Amino acid sequence: MSTPRIVVVGGGAGSAAAVAGLRQEGFDGEITLISAEDIVPYERPPLSKDYLMGRSGSVLVKDPAWYEQQSVELLLGRRATRLDLAGSTVALSDGSVIGYDQLLLATGVRPRVLPGIDGDGVCYLRTVRDAAELRDRIGAAGHVAVLGGGFIGCEVASAAMQLGKRATILEALPTLLHRALGPDLGEVVAALHREAGVDVRTGQQVNGLTPRPGGGVRITTGDGPVDADVLVVGVGTVPNQELAEQAGLPVGGGILVDEHFATAVPRVWAVGDVASQHLPGYGRRVRVEHHDTALRHGRAVARNMLGQREPFRDVHWFWSDQFEHTIQSAGLAEVTGPLVIRGSLEQRSFSAFSLDGDRLRGVISLNRPRDVLDARRLIARDHHATVDQLRDESLPLKRLASPAAPVP
Amino acid sequence: MTSRWHDTINLDDLWEGDMTSVVVDGEVVLLVNVDGTVRAYSNRCPHQASALDEGDLDGETLTCAKHLWEFNAVTGCGINPDDARLTSFGCQVGDDGTIYVDIGR
Repeated sequence: MSTPRIVVVGGGAGSAAAVAGLRQEGFDGEITLISAEDIVPYERPPLSKDYLMGRSGSVLVKDPAWYEQQSVELLLGRRATRLDLAGSTVALSDGSVIGYDQLLLATGVRPRVLPGIDGDGVCYLRTVRDAAELRDRIGAAGHVAVLGGGFIGCEVASAAMQLGKRATILEALPTLLHRALGPDLGEVVAALHREAGVDVRTGQQVNGLTPRPGGGVRITTGDGPVDADVLVVGVGTVPNQELAEQAGLPVGGGILVDEHFATAVPRVWAVGDVASQHLPGYGRRVRVEHHDTALRHGRAVARNMLGQREPFRDVHWFWSDQFEHTIQSAGLAEVTGPLVIRGSLEQRSFSAFSLDGDRLRGVISLNRPRDVLDARRLIARDHHATVDQLRDESLPLKRLASPAAPVP
Repeated sequence: MTSRWHDTINLDDLWEGDMTSVVVDGEVVLLVNVDGTVRAYSNRCPHQASALDEGDLDGETLTCAKHLWEFNAVTGCGINPDDARLTSFGCQVGDDGTIYVDIGR
């Protein structure tokens, strides 16, 4: 009988967590990790923050020696080009073909590329190589323009300003972080960027781009041209689902998986940014592109791959650091109904809760990490919350847990 | 090697399941009480030096509020990630309940 082999496609933090999880749970078969990048898995969150400012040390999740100690075969700098579900094999860009007993797809996402927005002076940010290039360009720049006022754009503008550069954010929607935070909270973030000196231009259509003689770009907007030494484009992502799709796995805005990370085909799983996961607790699919979720996915899929049927119930959580401010969110981070505010928008210390009846669905917070910790725990257990209770800062959020809730 | 025990707060002011920070010779020290076992650590998370006293202690699990790194509050060992570790200081409780901390200076 041959040793079972698990093949992991993708080299992000979720892959590393899955590999670590498999060994921790006692899997002693073969593990092969395939990554198109020529570097072992690394942390992406610093790439748009400390790394750009030259303040981060190593960003590797585990150093290369760890993979050797754990007998994990690394196939780096190679792309998985074809998946044969009937034959249980993956073909790689170097021509080799690898058989698997179980397959984990953690192929992540790539930046959405805008047609006509490319060429010298234009940067997209996803990989550590992108970040190294951007760091050098920002270092040499006087003016950094950012297209897209999402998390990447806001964090890059923040880093550029902290490096003493001028920064301009061009955003088509009415505020920054509009999709993630909604108009009211997005406006708070726009205000703090403006206060820090960022030229925030919302409601801006970018019509084109021309290179400037001597370097840099001229960006044509509805309000006239903007000249910058570097333009960073952060306008969303596209899930890397083609490998799965070509093999016939169901996809649709990501690779479709159930709450156990199982695809429609036995022994084939997907996690991380690329996984569109049906969660019964939410009553629908979610695809989450945040670091903490990828790590939790990785650990949880390892247990499922080894036969423990364990549905994913972890509460989604993320953070973003901009200037001296920390945005955090737990639960379903989407702003649909009215928000209940604890704290003060004006003082930039608040938590905005969304409720479903007397249950918390999610929280978005500025500079109140403690609220988010408490809310995250409440969401995971039985609780009752009223609007008045949430607004009352003298009432610890912990008290909203139902008395019957089991104490671990 | 000399060891210097600094008196801090009294055990009466640190209930089981509670944590607090004290300043010892300019160093912010986190004191935790897990089921009567008192431990002292640097208040700085090994990840990015965030203040651990703004986080959460739940049973034996200490969670940093900044990026959700988790530690075993009794051993100081990382849970997630498991290769991190809190900076530990000497700690003992006197007969009168005084909590003494040795930060190495």
